[in-house]
Amino acid sequence: MGRIVFAAAMSHVLDPDYYERVCGAVGRRKTDEAMAAIAAMGERFSATGADALVVVADDHLNAFSFNCVPAICVRIGRDVPRMRQDHAEAFDAVLEHMPISYPLHEALANAILEQGTAAGFDLALSWEAPVDHAFLAPVNTMHGTRPIPPLVPIWINCFVAPQPTARRCFAFGQHIARVVARGDWNVGIIATGGLSHFPELSVARIGDTDSVFDGRLIHWMERGEHEPLQALSGDELHKSGSHEFLNWMVLLGAVSPARAEVRYFGELPRINLAAVEWNLA
Amino acid sequence: MSRYAVNSLLYRLKKDPEFRARFGADPLAAIADADLSADERAAFAARDMRRINELGGYLHLVLSIPGLAVHPPRH
Repeated sequence: MGRIVFAAAMSHVLDPDYYERVCGAVGRRKTDEAMAAIAAMGERFSATGADALVVVADDHLNAFSFNCVPAICVRIGRDVPRMRQDHAEAFDAVLEHMPISYPLHEALANAILEQGTAAGFDLALSWEAPVDHAFLAPVNTMHGTRPIPPLVPIWINCFVAPQPTARRCFAFGQHIARVVARGDWNVGIIATGGLSHFPELSVARIGDTDSVFDGRLIHWMERGEHEPLQALSGDELHKSGSHEFLNWMVLLGAVSPARAEVRYFGELPRINLAAVEWNLA
Repeated sequence: MSRYAVNSLLYRLKKDPEFRARFGADPLAAIADADLSADERAAFAARDMRRINELGGYLHLVLSIPGLAVHPPRH
């Protein structure tokens, strides 16, 4: 019987240069601190010897264009490339220093997809979509120079309304847990993004964050109280800049009722950086 | 407002360097066939990404189009 042996969630713009440019010295310092916490989580993940790492993240209108925006999409195939962007700006630039191709865990990805469809989840699939910083910044920060196990990238549509609900994302995470339990693999799962930033996806509100809202999320996660999290509305997530918490909802469904342990929380004017790990004992 | 037209233009500006170069040389000519309102067309002509965001352009696109990305004030 397979097991989820590691679960963590973390911010995914992990670029000290970027945050120094937009927030000054404190931006670099707090990003370095967050990355150190994520690297330490990665060491614990590597020590599990997991067969696969499921990465739940969002697309920043890089992999999917306006001909199709899937609510939930499972990347299948044997490997996945990182996104390439000419003259990359901002958070795209961090990708340029990362390996260009990553192996996939084909059997686990196919099982999540096929069993999901059978269970009533109308999942999208992709053989070709590349992954952007939302996937690769956390994965590379966790692993450093250590080998990266086969990945199962899963996209959640966090930004293009109408998004899937928090409750639906949680249910999909429960599905992932069932698939893992039916299989033979030890699996890690991470969710990326957040916490509060870019409220209402408005340029005018860049620089606002909602630490009170983040505090509520953390309170519930630390206590394993997942019902109020499933009740979060799209409007609440949009106004508080918590769009990417939908990725975290998938992870919560996969590990519920496990309790979260905060490894790092750092407020910046642009974003609240976070690194959280779940106690699966 | 034509949300699709605005965002498909932004996406093309990000991902198509040849189109980006044509836009850079003559924005109005490059977007002549796009189904935009007068406000939207004026915002593109002015390369005003902040205004394009107000008109429905997705934040992550207006922040990341090479050479056109909006740079909010440092905090």
